[in-house]
Amino acid sequence: MLNLSTPMPIEERLKAISNYAVIFALVVIVAGFAIAAPSFLTGANLYNLILNNVVMLAIVAIAMTIVVSSGGIDLSVGVSVDMASMAFIMLLKAGVFVGTALFAGIGAALVVGLINAILITRLRISPFLATLGILFIGQSVQKIASGGGKPVYLANAKFAPTFNAIVKSEVLGIPTPMLILAAIAIAVYVLLHKSVFGRYIRALGAQPGVAWYSGIRVPFHTSLVYIIAAGLCGVTGILLSSTVKSYVPLSGDGYLLDAIGACFIGTTISAQRRPSVLGTLIGVLLLAVTRNGLLLVGWNFYWQQVGIGLLVFAVLALSFGLRGRGH
Amino acid sequence: MPLDTQSAIIEMQGISKRFGPVRALEEASLTIHRGRIHGLVGANGAGKSTIIKVLAGILRPDAGTIRIDGQEVTRLTPALVEKLGVHFIHQDRLLVPTATVAEAIFLRHEPRIGPFLNLRAMRRRSAELLKHYFDLDLPADALVQDLTTAQQKIVQITRALAQEAKVLVLDEPTAALVKREVDSLFRVLRRLRDDGISVIFISHYMQEIEEICDEVTVMRNGTDVGVVDPRQSGIDEIVAMMINRDMGEMYPARSVAIGAPVLEVQGLSRDGSFRNVSLTLRAGEIVGLTGLLGSGVKELVQCLFGLDRPDAGRVAIDGQEVALGSPVQAVGRRIALLPEDRRAHGVAMGLSIADNIALASMQRYAKGGLVSAAKEAAIVDGLIRDLSIKTPHRHNLVRNLSGGNQQKVAIAKWLSCQSRIYVLDEPTVAVDVGAKVEIYNLMNRLAAEGAAILLMSSELEELVGMCDRTLVIYRGELIDEFTRAEADTDSLLAAASGAARKTARETA
Ligand SMILES: Nc1ncnc2c1ncn2[C@@H]1O[C@H](COP(=O)(O)OP(=O)(O)OP(=O)(O)O)[C@@H](O)[C@H]1O
Ligand SMILES: [Mg+2]
Repeated sequence: MLNLSTPMPIEERLKAISNYAVIFALVVIVAGFAIAAPSFLTGANLYNLILNNVVMLAIVAIAMTIVVSSGGIDLSVGVSVDMASMAFIMLLKAGVFVGTALFAGIGAALVVGLINAILITRLRISPFLATLGILFIGQSVQKIASGGGKPVYLANAKFAPTFNAIVKSEVLGIPTPMLILAAIAIAVYVLLHKSVFGRYIRALGAQPGVAWYSGIRVPFHTSLVYIIAAGLCGVTGILLSSTVKSYVPLSGDGYLLDAIGACFIGTTISAQRRPSVLGTLIGVLLLAVTRNGLLLVGWNFYWQQVGIGLLVFAVLALSFGLRGRGH
Repeated sequence: MPLDTQSAIIEMQGISKRFGPVRALEEASLTIHRGRIHGLVGANGAGKSTIIKVLAGILRPDAGTIRIDGQEVTRLTPALVEKLGVHFIHQDRLLVPTATVAEAIFLRHEPRIGPFLNLRAMRRRSAELLKHYFDLDLPADALVQDLTTAQQKIVQITRALAQEAKVLVLDEPTAALVKREVDSLFRVLRRLRDDGISVIFISHYMQEIEEICDEVTVMRNGTDVGVVDPRQSGIDEIVAMMINRDMGEMYPARSVAIGAPVLEVQGLSRDGSFRNVSLTLRAGEIVGLTGLLGSGVKELVQCLFGLDRPDAGRVAIDGQEVALGSPVQAVGRRIALLPEDRRAHGVAMGLSIADNIALASMQRYAKGGLVSAAKEAAIVDGLIRDLSIKTPHRHNLVRNLSGGNQQKVAIAKWLSCQSRIYVLDEPTVAVDVGAKVEIYNLMNRLAAEGAAILLMSSELEELVGMCDRTLVIYRGELIDEFTRAEADTDSLLAAASGAARKTARETA
């Protein structure tokens, strides 16, 4: 039955190639922009691109990856980002010690995750509806708390060192936010792909009935998924508010669609079309590079959105088209 | 009996199909004649379902020719095959879980009035068909997902029977059906045959093959190894062709010292399902449990595994009263449940063999919260070998295994758990005769090592052959208990149908 030495049929090879469609697209796009926009491949542009567009989105997208792996979805990632940002900035403004404000910021995000967890595991609301509800409520709460959506600026020189220490500092010549992203990416990679907990997450995502019949504590592990995801989003909240030195209500919502997009684009690198940390990071790069490149060649925001949409179609068509109609 | 090729309705010749490195079919041929019931047998993974899927246009073969009604067809699609009058019940294609019984039976053949569905006719006709073929009263509006596995199978079969078929292909239709339902099916098949319709019938139950088939194609390792007349060559000869070795005794004998009680159930009740059930499982014992559909057996098992809560009664393990509020607690007490519905609860199709086997006993595979690849390789490969699961690698997806090998993975998961109490609901469904004996040997080995086994089976011979005692549930009550010496299929069936035993039983 088994004969590994025979060459793979064409069909199989195309299928294997289809896993790299997204990487191929990324290379083509980078090359294209390098030619079309001379300022694209400059150190300054790439540095900015990564620090301002990639890191924060990537952390939220990684959080989304955990949730999607478990068979769920989190539409309230923006709320977690914003709650962390709001708590952090408001407490700093109130004169609280930085460390406390940091913890409180992450804590506020964790509360969002905990509420999601309760809605999903106790009240058995579907993840889509539960987190959609939290998205609506979170937006309203922010508007009420900020007097209709007024940002809270901390432009005051007193806070500049704090913010700089978070987003402008370097360790061994590497910017701190990039190190934070690297640490999170590695930790979540180990969690999802190497740990016992990761196995449970995958089982939940593949076949929740089997997980339950295998004696796995399904509600507990599901709760952890949403709480961890919210906590990661809180990290982005801290980075975001430190970058813009303010809390801007509803600014976290901008990550939602990109995070979902990056996560699903990322699934195309796996033969089983499963979410993975690496795939998600590639998805984030693809989205961020395209947006940045289109900006540099002079497209405005709305046309950038059109460009991104076309790109997503192109990658998915390439990836799924090459797979053929399967068997 | 001379085989008249003139009357062949389906001729498949030299069919090959590969999945990556796995050669599922190699130059396999299959010829089906008009008005015959044609059996297709072979061990798990022999390629039976694959050749059927090729015929159905679901899989495209790498090589080979197919003639239907004398005409060569090159580009088969499911729609085309159906138009040519060939209808299928596949082993692993499910009904839409959220469809109603009526919708499932008339899917793509809905009765219409002009452009509109005739829902009333659909409901009425489906109820009539179920009654007509299987004497079964199922509400036409019931959802497929709420039916038992057997009922779902019957709905699938009814859908195929309702078509104007020239050829009917049934891939393991009788798995999980009880004798009465199988008899109904056979009556229908014989009638169809007498009307000139051909049937391809796949089954691992050799008695069924012998009883209903006019000719049998035996497959081994992706090739057809012979066509025989089951009435001339006996079961033994067919089995020998299938597995290419002598099988030995079907139900291996064993002598085990029965030990202390492991599981004691006292007065367990669940409103509307079962009442006042008391039973004891001892170490080393294999106890059968049987009852008709709706007798409360399934619900009782659900309570024993914490999937459902009893309204009254106590459960003790090793003499200690325990609460079984969820499967988490049941597994914690080292109870294993091999569920009847393999796809929904037994194995995760989208995960690998290793993922599935390790799932219920991750603590054995862990090192500080991380999965140890070395331990996984050792334990999983050991179980793959023990159960002879046919696969190139432990990382292969369970979806790509043949039906019987999927069942073995479901069993391996609990072996990996080193459970003490095994509740086995139809453990040998879809498993080939050779592997069946292996599973029986395994059960005996587990019992010898001190496990207690509760066995449920719609195959009464299995209970008779394997169990030290068999308990019979009728209308929610434990009404009878047969020792090994007393049990035979007729008396078990009679008891399950509520017939009181003549002899008074004082001694227990
Ligand atoms: N999609 C697939 N990908 C990879 N291998 C496959 C796939 N489908 C089937 N196989 C392999 O092909 C072989 C034949 O499988 P098939 O399902 O035809 O067996 P079968 O005779 O129907 O067995 P069973 O009695 O267990 O149902 C098996 O080794 C199986 O693992
Ligand atoms: Mg099969």
